[in-house]
Amino acid sequence: MTDVTHDHASSTGISNVKLGMWAFLGSECLLFGGLISTYMLYRGRVTGGPRPSQIFDIPFTSVSSFILLMSSLTMVLAVSAAHKEDDRKINLWLTVTALLGATFVGGQVYEFTAFYKEGLGFSTSLFGSSFYTLTGFHGVHVTVGIIMLMSLVGILKRSKVPGKKAEVVEMIGLYWHFVDIVWIVIFTLVYLIPV
Amino acid sequence: MHKTLKSAVVVFVGSLVAASCATNAPQDTWQPKGPNAKLIDDLQQPVFAVAGIIGLIVAAAVTYTVIKYRDRGQPIPEQTHGKPALEITLTVIPALILAVVAVFTFGAIFKLAKTDDTEMIINVTGQQWWWEYDYPVQNEFGITSPIISSGQLVMPVGTKVLLRETSRDVIHSYWIPALNGKRDAVPGRVQTLRLEADEPGIYAGQCTEFCGLSHANMRMEAVALSKEDFAKWVANQQAPYVVPAKDSLAQQGETVFLNQCVRCHQVNGLMRADGTPAIAAPDENVWSGAAPNLSHLMSRNTFAGAAFDLLSKKCRDEVWGAPSNVVGAKYLAGVTEDCLNQKDLRAWLRNAPEMKPMYANPADLEISNGKYRGMPYLALSEDDINKLVAYLLTLK
Amino acid sequence: MAIIERPAPTVPAVVTPTSTYGVLKRPVSATGWRSWVFTVDHKKIGIMYGATAMFFFIVGGVEALLIRLQLAAPNGKVLNADLYNQMFTMHATTMVFLFVMPMAAAFANYFVPLQIGARDVAFPRLNAFSFWALLFGGIFLNLAWFLGGAADGGWFMYAPNSGPVFSPTNGVDFWALGLQITGIASLAGAINLIITVLNMRAPGMSLMKMPIFTWMITVVQFLLLFAVPVITVALFLLSFQRNFGARFFDVAAGADPLLWQHLFWIFGHPEVYILILPSFGIISEVLPVFSRKPLFGYPFVVFSGAAIGFVGWGVWAHHMFASGLGPVSVAVFSLTTMAIAVPTGVKIINWTLTMWGGKLWFTTAMKFAIGLIVLFTVGGLSGVTHSVAPSDTQQTDTYYIVAHFHYVLFGGAVLGIFSGFYYWWPKVFGKMLNEKLGSWNFWLMIIGLNLTFGPMHILGLQGQPRRMYRWTEARAGEGFFNLAFWNMIASIGSFILTTGILMFLINVWVTWRNPKKAPLDPWDARSLEWMTTNPPKEHNFDVIPTVHHLDEFFHRKYEEDATTHTMKQVATAEELMAEQERNADKHIHMPSPSYWPIVLAFALPIITFGIIYSYLISVVGGVIVLFAAYGWALESSTAPDSDFENNTPGTALAIHD
Repeated sequence: MTDVTHDHASSTGISNVKLGMWAFLGSECLLFGGLISTYMLYRGRVTGGPRPSQIFDIPFTSVSSFILLMSSLTMVLAVSAAHKEDDRKINLWLTVTALLGATFVGGQVYEFTAFYKEGLGFSTSLFGSSFYTLTGFHGVHVTVGIIMLMSLVGILKRSKVPGKKAEVVEMIGLYWHFVDIVWIVIFTLVYLIPV
Repeated sequence: MHKTLKSAVVVFVGSLVAASCATNAPQDTWQPKGPNAKLIDDLQQPVFAVAGIIGLIVAAAVTYTVIKYRDRGQPIPEQTHGKPALEITLTVIPALILAVVAVFTFGAIFKLAKTDDTEMIINVTGQQWWWEYDYPVQNEFGITSPIISSGQLVMPVGTKVLLRETSRDVIHSYWIPALNGKRDAVPGRVQTLRLEADEPGIYAGQCTEFCGLSHANMRMEAVALSKEDFAKWVANQQAPYVVPAKDSLAQQGETVFLNQCVRCHQVNGLMRADGTPAIAAPDENVWSGAAPNLSHLMSRNTFAGAAFDLLSKKCRDEVWGAPSNVVGAKYLAGVTEDCLNQKDLRAWLRNAPEMKPMYANPADLEISNGKYRGMPYLALSEDDINKLVAYLLTLK
Repeated sequence: MAIIERPAPTVPAVVTPTSTYGVLKRPVSATGWRSWVFTVDHKKIGIMYGATAMFFFIVGGVEALLIRLQLAAPNGKVLNADLYNQMFTMHATTMVFLFVMPMAAAFANYFVPLQIGARDVAFPRLNAFSFWALLFGGIFLNLAWFLGGAADGGWFMYAPNSGPVFSPTNGVDFWALGLQITGIASLAGAINLIITVLNMRAPGMSLMKMPIFTWMITVVQFLLLFAVPVITVALFLLSFQRNFGARFFDVAAGADPLLWQHLFWIFGHPEVYILILPSFGIISEVLPVFSRKPLFGYPFVVFSGAAIGFVGWGVWAHHMFASGLGPVSVAVFSLTTMAIAVPTGVKIINWTLTMWGGKLWFTTAMKFAIGLIVLFTVGGLSGVTHSVAPSDTQQTDTYYIVAHFHYVLFGGAVLGIFSGFYYWWPKVFGKMLNEKLGSWNFWLMIIGLNLTFGPMHILGLQGQPRRMYRWTEARAGEGFFNLAFWNMIASIGSFILTTGILMFLINVWVTWRNPKKAPLDPWDARSLEWMTTNPPKEHNFDVIPTVHHLDEFFHRKYEEDATTHTMKQVATAEELMAEQERNADKHIHMPSPSYWPIVLAFALPIITFGIIYSYLISVVGGVIVLFAAYGWALESSTAPDSDFENNTPGTALAIHD
């Protein structure tokens, strides 16, 4: 994803890939904005199915949220290692970040299964449809992030990364932080604020 | 070219004005017949005029510029980049004009949203592709038991009527241009629309939110009657069911009706052979709610979502063309055998989906999960149709 | 302007790389169909965008003609109700998403890098991907015609009429998923162009020295960046309901159908500006060139464009004045809608004042630009009448609205596009279009469009609603000038309009068969894209220009006489070109062609096809996506040094990075 064709220094001083990622994340804000609005509109409409307060397990989700937040920290460490061109540490921190992310996704899978068993299916109610859609979209974003991290680890091992290493790590780091921040918003609005 | 452009604009605006006077389209938005529509018209006419004048000024300015500065071999002009003072002036002027328009607009918006001065309530329910009118009990108008009708909204003149709109399936929109702007009928919501007619008359309207296959055929009419005439109409609607004369064709028609029609259509007071009331059970077969209630069908001038006339052309013209002092009486006369539009009614009974596209094809049952809508092809014999027509004519 | 035979270019064509360390070898052939399919050159991609858009313009045009044939007389029999509903849905969808948007992308792709003095866009492969995704998305959308019927809910696809019960065929599925694909294309294109404009301007080109077309395109890309995700959400909700049993628009479960309307129009109104601003940009280039004067009030035009971009986000609910929002919301949106008329008016004033005091040259491009000023004004003013919410409740969903937005979109966007065709044709193809045929093209289109859409004002004000597959004489009124008359005129007009558009195609054909070579600077133009050959070389500029002025090219050709303030020519385009070629950069390294954009794009319709028919197919598509993404990531966008065949110093192109 590093199509840098340059004949002179960039006008803004920020590289194309990084600026491109910022633009993409700006767009993503609106995507999650739309999904969150839908959820907020529909969260109280349960039509006989379970209500949010009946199924949410706040302590469990708090722990998995904490794990996801920690992955932002390890991502920062990976970026800083990339700036120091310390390949061993880049690999280490990228792998740890991916593992923390995977733990979070695992927690989400467990949570979905538990909710489903308690009677909240995708078609059960507007609450169910919008809850699974919102958190599912976030989960897919985390999963895509994990795939990118693991691919990066693999590519770095064969030192085949096109373009500057730090640049690529930083770009994926931006994405990862964004996904974490979105989760903070979702966690607050979905789990913590009562209907 | 520029003269052509200019004259084109003049001709265009001229014909716009001329056209709106020359014809008498039933749904003309520039011929208000009630205070709500008048409020809108008083607001829009000056806006149209100002917009037209500004349009002409722009066209004239462009034309003048284009003629004056065409290349006559003059040198390349000075490369000026603009005059901020002029720019700002020309920005502020339209902003001021719009500010004035906004003030009047705001006033009208809130006046048209008022509901606290309502004198009469009518519930309106849209569904594919007809309107149901439900008059809740309002003793001051003699409505002592609910009246359910369809196709034509009957209302007293000089009365502030509030429609409470909703829908049973998709979004529809209620619009009688002569009486007010439109308001969507949204399933799951109840929304209001003020209607008031100054004079007795029949005012045409049409569903204006795209609502599927037969959207084009979903029409309605508001019939404004004098208060006395309205009282007569109410009394007739509440009159008990009249059993057809024994051994008449109509009585045989009642039997056909009981066999073929009551699954969806209700006629208040109609009894089955075993003495139980024949209550329509529309939800068994027709997903989108009920079919029109046919009690007192012949008191209406139209059928099938006001898509077709129940009156023959001649009789219809007599009612629609009647001056406002007699239109009520003409309307209340209802549909007699002489005036019945036999052709369309029979064609409808013969094969309804052919006259008005509906999702009634039983072959579509599967893809629509057993939920088809509209009147299906019933394979009635001509004999049955004769009997049914005779029966329907008794539903005065 | 004499045509000077120029010497053969001193910079050799870019050499093709032979291999790569990616998953597959790089495409090596730079000739034949491969040179198009695997290209990452923004100019070739621009041309392909243009050709695709033109194809869909014809498709959408045929749909429009069928609609007008059906409505020419009462109780039309040309189409049945079902087919008619599909026709108007697909006419709008095609014209908006598959004609105007890609055509704007065609102009943007081709001219933005040239106007800012860049050699390509920021992400050339992503650019190719955008195009292929658009093409495949467009084909996917139209596949529905052959697979059980196209979408039939109108382009606005209001819930719940778009739900599985009310629209049981697969049409709406194809529509929703197809638009997701074109949405991905738009989003990728937007990011690409934003970064290109922000990061790749020639030295000296500050934002306020940027050509106005590039400015308007930039505003549009920002609108796309933030509007596309909103429709993406809406389309996901719709698809999830139709394909996975979600309840989003199921009223029985307590859903609010207005949710769709809000999401749709939050996207949909910025979309209107996405459609019109590129044409504003085009005529803001054309008018100064043929008036021999700079754009009047350039900063005002830039800021009004940006203002439209901002305020455009706060007007969406004016599409919903009849929906029942409550008087407070209606009043607020009424006000914002009036507010947006002001910056739009600023543009009209500035265009007129650009011509004022000029030396006007009425080429076909100029005629279309002037046509836009007048006809867009008609559409703009009818738009202002809608901002008066109470009167809009009379007009909305009638033909008055159809008239309004066709004056805006045909009288605005399409006339601008045609102005761009005639203005930039010599640049893109090195051939002139015929001006005489151009004149026929222009006048037939102007007459046709006024005859088609003018009467629709009357039809609407006389109460004819939109989206009706037939109309009845019972509501047509009396007298000669009744609705039947105006419907007939509109239908006749649509055929005159078609003839006008055919004139363009004939013009292209005639001048293709019998070309007149374009001079280097046929219009005595002002901006950087004209400071290179026709068509431009693959690397655009032999030397990246340093910019000192808005209208840099003009100021290199002309200087102001200090005493008389008139302009006198100091250099010809040919001289400037020769100078560039003398000083040509020796090290030009262009991005190399790639297989991955088209492979990745092709996987998208496979996935969506699978969502409708069988998830197995989707899995196949998903695998292709992963495969292509890896191939993409492993391949650097510019082939490395060792990949070049005749890498002898001095003749070939070395590496700069």
